[in-house]
Amino acid sequence: MYRSSGFISFFLRRLTGVALVLYLGAHLWVIGSATQGPAVFDARLAAVQSPFFKLAEIALLGAVWYHAFDGVRLLLVNWFRVTSYRASLLYTALVMTVLLTVMGGLPILLFLLEG
Amino acid sequence: MDTAIVRVQRFHPETDRRPRLERYSVPLTSDTTVLDALHWIKTEVDGSLTFRRSCRHAICGSCAMNVNGRNVLVCKTSLAREVGKGRPVTIRPLPYLPVIKDLVVDRSSFWEQYLRVKPWLVPPEQAPAKEFRMLPEEVAALQNAETCILCGACYSACQVVGLTKEYIGPHALLKAFLRVLDPRDTLPGERLAEVSGHDGAFRCHTIFNCIEACPKGLNPTQAIETLRLLAQKRERFEAERRDRLSQWAKAGSAP
Repeated sequence: MYRSSGFISFFLRRLTGVALVLYLGAHLWVIGSATQGPAVFDARLAAVQSPFFKLAEIALLGAVWYHAFDGVRLLLVNWFRVTSYRASLLYTALVMTVLLTVMGGLPILLFLLEG
Repeated sequence: MDTAIVRVQRFHPETDRRPRLERYSVPLTSDTTVLDALHWIKTEVDGSLTFRRSCRHAICGSCAMNVNGRNVLVCKTSLAREVGKGRPVTIRPLPYLPVIKDLVVDRSSFWEQYLRVKPWLVPPEQAPAKEFRMLPEEVAALQNAETCILCGACYSACQVVGLTKEYIGPHALLKAFLRVLDPRDTLPGERLAEVSGHDGAFRCHTIFNCIEACPKGLNPTQAIETLRLLAQKRERFEAERRDRLSQWAKAGSAP
């Protein structure tokens, strides 16, 4: 395995991509139940209110931000001659991901702790 | 005399089931290269150690290996500098390629993919009376791609190559880029069609390992990005090339 900062970005891109696809399936499972009546919808919604799913929501937020910023980073490389800034672009994507995940994750965490 | 601890990956296909690391203590001076260390081990300790090398001037591309996790030309890699990183110097063969023996890898896929892009120049049948004189900006656009020594460092650092040997690879795409942008070449459309297939430039995941690994400081990633853009306007690019070639044909030299 050839380890490099590029490999880290590649690995995270794939990991978050798979995570988002799995989330999409779960999301459709919950939202799609709205067609089966309020009782089914409420039951499925209640199933994803556990602390585990709240923490998973924070992880999902991180995955969404990373995947988005990594995509922007790749578009910049596609359109402009910025390969010499590859490390800076990756670190920027990581820092933005962490910042926005913390900002969005804190309210979820507080909501979870308050019960 | 100072010594350095060097760990070398050894593998004999007839006796070993899997590769192993052997430790050697080699003499170290400020100008010892990693290749010097390998030569010392082969001469003084174990004559069966097998590795490729030829010119010792970083121009033949034979001695690309993986040293402390990085693909380098061992003939231009200072052993003292690697020792200075505070860990034993670990020398392995190029990753993602089948090992034939010790540090020698099978580069068949590397050359097969290279030939796939027709790496040679195809000039017009009628050459100018005197010479093809390229404009300075045309030469600059090639980004020194002609200085690639085909060492394989970029190819074997590429994770996409690790996943599939069907991928053309950064070395061949860099060569395709060189030929496509060469104003003397008559096959830019054919070349762009080849590299825009599903195993070509669009298969690149922009991991940048090829840039990190290139011992000549070349930029295969940028070349691949350029090929991607040109592939999307192939017909227009071909027409521009025909115009450029016709200028030479009319003038007999540079316009």
